[in-house]
Amino acid sequence: MSRFEAPPSVAPRHLPPKGGGGVRFGILGGLLTLLAACHPKPPDVPGVFILGVDGMDPVITQRLIDEGKLPNLAKLAKAGGFESLATVNPPQSPVAWSSFVTGMDPGGHGIFDFVHRDPKTYKPISSATPPSTDPTKAIEIGDTYFPISGGAVSNNRGGVPFWDLLEKAGVDTEIYRIPGNYPVPDSGAKTLSGMGTSDMRGGYGVYTWFTDKPIPTKPDGSKLKGDIEVVTVEDFDGDGVVDNVHGTLKGPPDLFHIAPDAEITDNNYLTAGVTFWLDKDRTSIYIQAGDDTALVKEGEWSDWMKVSYEGLPHGVVSYDGMVRFYAKQLKPGAGEDPKGPGFAVYASPVNFVPSNPAQQISTPKTWSEDLSDILGNFYTQGMPEETNALKDGMFDDDDYIRQVALVQQDTRNMMELALARFKGDHDGHGAMTFMYVSDIDLQCHMLWRHGDPKYADAPHHPAWEEKSAAKHKLDIEHMYEHVDSLAGDIIDNLPKGSSFLLMSDHGFQPYTRDVHLNTWLRDNGYLVMKAGKTTGSIPTDDVDWSKTKAYNIGFNAIYLNETGREGQGIVAPADADAVMKAISDKLLAQRDPKDGHVVVRKMARSKDIYSKQREAEAPDLIVGFDIGYGNSDQSTLGEIGTEELTDNTSRWSGNHLMDPDVVPGVIFSNEPLPPAGGYGLLDVTATVLKHFHVDPATGMTGKSIY
Amino acid sequence: MTSLIAFLNTVFDVILAPFGHRLAAFDLLIWPVAAGIAALLVYKKVSNQKGIAAAKNGIQVHLLEIVLYKDDLVGVLVSTARAMAQNGLYLGYNLGPAVVMMPPMTAVLVELVAHYAYAPLPADATPLLEVTMAPGRASKDVTLDVPKGLTVDAGPVATPDGMAVWRLKADAPGDYVVTVKDGADAESKTIAFGGEPRKIPVQRTNTWEAILYPAEAPLPSDSAFQTISTKVPNRELTFFPDGEDGVLGWFFLFSLGSGFLLSKPLGVEL
Repeated sequence: MSRFEAPPSVAPRHLPPKGGGGVRFGILGGLLTLLAACHPKPPDVPGVFILGVDGMDPVITQRLIDEGKLPNLAKLAKAGGFESLATVNPPQSPVAWSSFVTGMDPGGHGIFDFVHRDPKTYKPISSATPPSTDPTKAIEIGDTYFPISGGAVSNNRGGVPFWDLLEKAGVDTEIYRIPGNYPVPDSGAKTLSGMGTSDMRGGYGVYTWFTDKPIPTKPDGSKLKGDIEVVTVEDFDGDGVVDNVHGTLKGPPDLFHIAPDAEITDNNYLTAGVTFWLDKDRTSIYIQAGDDTALVKEGEWSDWMKVSYEGLPHGVVSYDGMVRFYAKQLKPGAGEDPKGPGFAVYASPVNFVPSNPAQQISTPKTWSEDLSDILGNFYTQGMPEETNALKDGMFDDDDYIRQVALVQQDTRNMMELALARFKGDHDGHGAMTFMYVSDIDLQCHMLWRHGDPKYADAPHHPAWEEKSAAKHKLDIEHMYEHVDSLAGDIIDNLPKGSSFLLMSDHGFQPYTRDVHLNTWLRDNGYLVMKAGKTTGSIPTDDVDWSKTKAYNIGFNAIYLNETGREGQGIVAPADADAVMKAISDKLLAQRDPKDGHVVVRKMARSKDIYSKQREAEAPDLIVGFDIGYGNSDQSTLGEIGTEELTDNTSRWSGNHLMDPDVVPGVIFSNEPLPPAGGYGLLDVTATVLKHFHVDPATGMTGKSIY
Repeated sequence: MTSLIAFLNTVFDVILAPFGHRLAAFDLLIWPVAAGIAALLVYKKVSNQKGIAAAKNGIQVHLLEIVLYKDDLVGVLVSTARAMAQNGLYLGYNLGPAVVMMPPMTAVLVELVAHYAYAPLPADATPLLEVTMAPGRASKDVTLDVPKGLTVDAGPVATPDGMAVWRLKADAPGDYVVTVKDGADAESKTIAFGGEPRKIPVQRTNTWEAILYPAEAPLPSDSAFQTISTKVPNRELTFFPDGEDGVLGWFFLFSLGSGFLLSKPLGVEL
């Protein structure tokens, strides 16, 4: 494993980062100084540093504080304050963080779920980008398509990000790994996109699994989230000893060879070659990918390795990506047992290279390069933890935790840099920094099954694995301890007088039962399948829209099939309220046949809870599940199955996509919190703006905490 | 080639880094300027100064014709052809001097790169030592001897196409000499971890590339090994990109700059 990146070092935010930049910074430094003279003068108030911890739960936090496991947060709570922080409805990360960013509820910013639907086709689409209305046009020459117009992607989030307001007022603003900011909107502030940033394939974590073993299947039969490449271990020199494996890594879609109106299939991606050479003892491999090489032992990760994809020959158009390899198992000669010996090497999703990203991931565009000049390569994929590998069974918990440690180190390096830059030349005066941390959220999702950190007497989770649980039941606590140590670094190094806020977007609960909303809608007569079908899915056109009144796309969303809005709507607007009431009443009355437990705790009509700017795009009903319940992945993407409720046997075992009242987040402050309490996410945005004497933008509804 | 490199090393190790390697800017300024002045004087001596002046004059005359008689298409074409012919003549006059000056200029540049383009490996780095065998030689029996304080962290992986790779780890900063062996053949290689900036060895080879890496002696032409190398970090250089590109930047900016600035005072027709 070669590690040539410069060790993490720091540079004041008012100066160009040291090293690497060469002429660019030499010349630009002068220009920036001139530009700085034209920039509004920073307000003469102490700075604000915010640590945004996704998924930090007030109940778990309080328990760990009481047990003395979070000394820094305990100190912070004592010196300042610690309260729960109301989240938004639905309490999903992209929705909640967009609300924090814009100071608006979902009706204002237009992000209502991870997944939206295209009202014309009913198909699920990412909430990050609006439905395409500007198709690509291209000139065809031979087998190559040269785009001439259209196809531009924009960020679907409306409203004004708070950092734009701060930046215009002269506040020196740096935002690290902010969720929901990809595609990256223009901004004068320094921002780096976080959750929602895709990998090079355009997916959210598509890994590659090189193996000579039988392809594993998931217990629920769902599709694996990665590329499975069944390889042959070859005997290069014919001496009877197998020694090498060739494979390919998929990169971005081969857009120059796909007709603009064609769907992208598995064969439409650019590829880069990779070769693995095995040592004679089968304990390590030498990896050649592009011009980079690495030698890793079984159970180790390589450092980042650069791979290039040629869009057009001879480097006319090429895209750089970077990938890490994990040598899971180096014992070729597989049997039929997927868990037996064999060759299995994992390649991470191909990330954008921060020094030269194929898609913009920061503002200004060069900021990611400036950061990488100091930090070396870092994860650019929005959710860097390899959750898909663990969900799919490619990783066991040990593998997963090993990778989480890499992400944690990445986070710590970036946070130390952010903190040093915050201090800068002016001890934080007139500066605002936000730093996002994913540790707790993803590990609560993945590791809750090993031991409920919230309810000591909780029964075993359906996905509980006895052997693994013994080793990993305290992992979530360790994630809290990691956040505590980050907070300790900040407390110890924060310039005197600066404000420090630690906040989370929501809390957490166990996720033991899958609700299949579309199946429930079918069973209750609101969704009707085409003749001859009882199961199927919305994307594969199995639903009879001429008889369907409501459907589910998204984790908490129910849409009415309303005339004039949906492609083949049948519910007249005048009848909408009655249909919504009937669905809500029935869902609230639903009881789990397993134990009689309430399934849905609260139903909300979007028109009752959202502001009006973009309410028309919202789902009609927001389903607030009770503790332990959540909509299944299958139903979220439009599948209609056989059962309404099933045990959640997935390793994705903790959740927060429920009634917002059961998953509040947290807020810590180094200044005493007023006793009124009752703070919400939007109030944090208002607090930051007020601190810098900046007026809120139209539509911002929060109230400053101080 | 070995003798030539040894001679150049002897000379440049004496004259470069008079204040140590920390002050890279001194050598990266002084020697390109000196090389530019020396090149200017050599150029004056070995070039056809009258011919160059005449060719430049010819180019200017024909370009002026193009501007003045731009409405006369045939005249413009003829003048363009003549300007290009004069340009070719000018380039021809420069060919000889370029051949004369290239070796010493390359030598200076290569030595500056060896001294200032690379940084020692971080003390906690785990670099790869990569060995490429001579054509026809297999790598599977190659072994590595490491000195005290350096350990083999992983490997070797011997590839059937003639490579052998080890991953190394040092206990403490320092220059470690490892020995690669294949039967009776044995060659050493220095690997620099941590410490002050210094002349950093990158690779030993018996190909033409040896001239580019003078920090260590080339491998013998009959060696079992073709190349022994480690990748090292680039050194950070002020105002220019890191590493080789930065040294090239300094060299060309200051050698060409000084040459152009001093050509008139020194009476050199460029």
